[in-house]
Amino acid sequence: MIADARGLGLHDHVCWAYDDLDDFHCRVREFLAEGLGLGQRVWYVAPGDVEALADDLRDLDGMDLALRVGAAQVVSVDTAYPAGTVIDPAAQVQAFAMAATQAVRAGFTGLRVAADTTPLVRTPQQLDAFARYECLVDRCIASQPLSGMCAYNRAELGEDVIAQLACLHPNVNGGTAQFRLHASHHATASLNGELDMTTVELLSLALQRADLQPSGGELVIDAAGLTYIDHRALLMLAEHTRRADATIVLRTAWPGAASLVDLLDLEQVRVELSE
Amino acid sequence: MTLGAPAEHHGMFHEAAFYSSDAEFLGVVVPFLQGGVETGVPTVVALGEQNTELVRSAMPDISHLSFMHDQYVRPASVIKSLQQLLTGHLSEGARQIRILGEVPQPGVGVPWEWWARYEATVNHAFDDFPLWALCPYDMRITSGEVLDDVAQTHPYLASVDGGHVINDRYISPEVFLTQPRPTHPDPLEAAPPLIDLVDPMPLTARQAIRAVSPTTRLTATDVEGLVVAVCEAVTNAICHGRPPVQLRLWSSSDRIVVTVTDHGAGPTDPFAGLLPAVPAPRGGLGLWLTHQLCSLVTLDKFKEGFTIRLIAGKPAATPH
Repeated sequence: MIADARGLGLHDHVCWAYDDLDDFHCRVREFLAEGLGLGQRVWYVAPGDVEALADDLRDLDGMDLALRVGAAQVVSVDTAYPAGTVIDPAAQVQAFAMAATQAVRAGFTGLRVAADTTPLVRTPQQLDAFARYECLVDRCIASQPLSGMCAYNRAELGEDVIAQLACLHPNVNGGTAQFRLHASHHATASLNGELDMTTVELLSLALQRADLQPSGGELVIDAAGLTYIDHRALLMLAEHTRRADATIVLRTAWPGAASLVDLLDLEQVRVELSE
Repeated sequence: MTLGAPAEHHGMFHEAAFYSSDAEFLGVVVPFLQGGVETGVPTVVALGEQNTELVRSAMPDISHLSFMHDQYVRPASVIKSLQQLLTGHLSEGARQIRILGEVPQPGVGVPWEWWARYEATVNHAFDDFPLWALCPYDMRITSGEVLDDVAQTHPYLASVDGGHVINDRYISPEVFLTQPRPTHPDPLEAAPPLIDLVDPMPLTARQAIRAVSPTTRLTATDVEGLVVAVCEAVTNAICHGRPPVQLRLWSSSDRIVVTVTDHGAGPTDPFAGLLPAVPAPRGGLGLWLTHQLCSLVTLDKFKEGFTIRLIAGKPAATPH
């Protein structure tokens, strides 16, 4: 959980739920100013007129020059994604991966994107497609010189939509995700936080959207940051794994996981105690 | 074909024996064990340390007996492991399995409530098994409350002179488990609770236990077992009970006691907690897990609601 948008690195993927535009602008400015300082190309993607968006940033140190030479670029969501656009997850990720590559070729250390994509998750179809995109782009960010801040207007979208999106990010701001399912360098995915009866539906949606693919018959879950998982979530993971004809390996330091798996005779789940 | 006393009996033959001396104890159990060995059926001895030694010294040959130690820690765990044991013996062709089992009770410093439910539940859980289970009770240390429960949960009685009779005080487990039972709060509950929460969410319940646990000597496994159990109790209260839900917590260096009270009727399944509901509707699996992970779980139905008491660490014995 994070309290501001500072100190984030080359592969960070942050979900920022904001309640008012001042808060959003403050985080975008922190995030992009640091990106420039790290030698990254920075993009600001949000609803509104591009000149007004540029004005949100212009007084930051070096930003005016960056905007003029293309080190900082501004994109209006209204123009790039006409109202009601249902995003194509794979194509969108490919576009960002290419943009990151181009940034590196142009001499930057990578690409950093701050985006308010509230208009892209307004309908259930938009939300589902965008959530799948969040999972894909998270894997891309983990392996490419790309970092991103996905901002959403909580007042407009509501807590439930925010929770569905936040739980697919490795970094979130306060109180938006009780658990997080996201990409991992060492495993099929990372699962962190606490899973209980209040997260049953969210976990089900997150698993569908993440569409984890077993490797060698195993889904390896890095759960070093997992501090609680109840039998409902374990049964759901077991069922998900059974449908994928795989075994799930849960690497966790939480001592309850092994006890529950043993008591429930979950043959599809193997717990490996981590430090 | 069944063997020994339950010659005409099908299914479980659940028998209690009351003894007042070591000689009476051996007078009941040695013929039971000897009969099992002579007829070649799997014969299991699960007694406390002292009675195990008595049996070892009295039996001419113990090589065909299976001795089990420290089996009786949690009733729900005993039922689970016995089901596996019995299923294994049956698959190997056993015609009968004999178990001599000494259930823990206040006379040896162990709370009784969930063992009383155990003695009733096994009549249902093992009804389909050709099991002859003999439960000896030492009259010198057994309270009247326990003796009453034993009388109501054993359909047969073995006498110290070798007889086997039908017990006319026996009542069906469904009736036994739904009748009101005396409540024995933990002595810590005499003081105001350390934590008192109204309508907590599971996350708040977890935080409460984890905040207190560093002041105790409990292991991480015991603490997190309690964390799971309390979350299941709170979840059941929210999903199946009636508000307000109240969580109270007491602790000492050797245990944490948590009660969760709601104003609903409590579980309707008489075997809830000791047997997993299959399939698990209405929270049956969660309640079973509480019984697998705590060192004591008691269920109290009262006029205005239902309280589940969950303890990690060393529980105090039921007064006797």
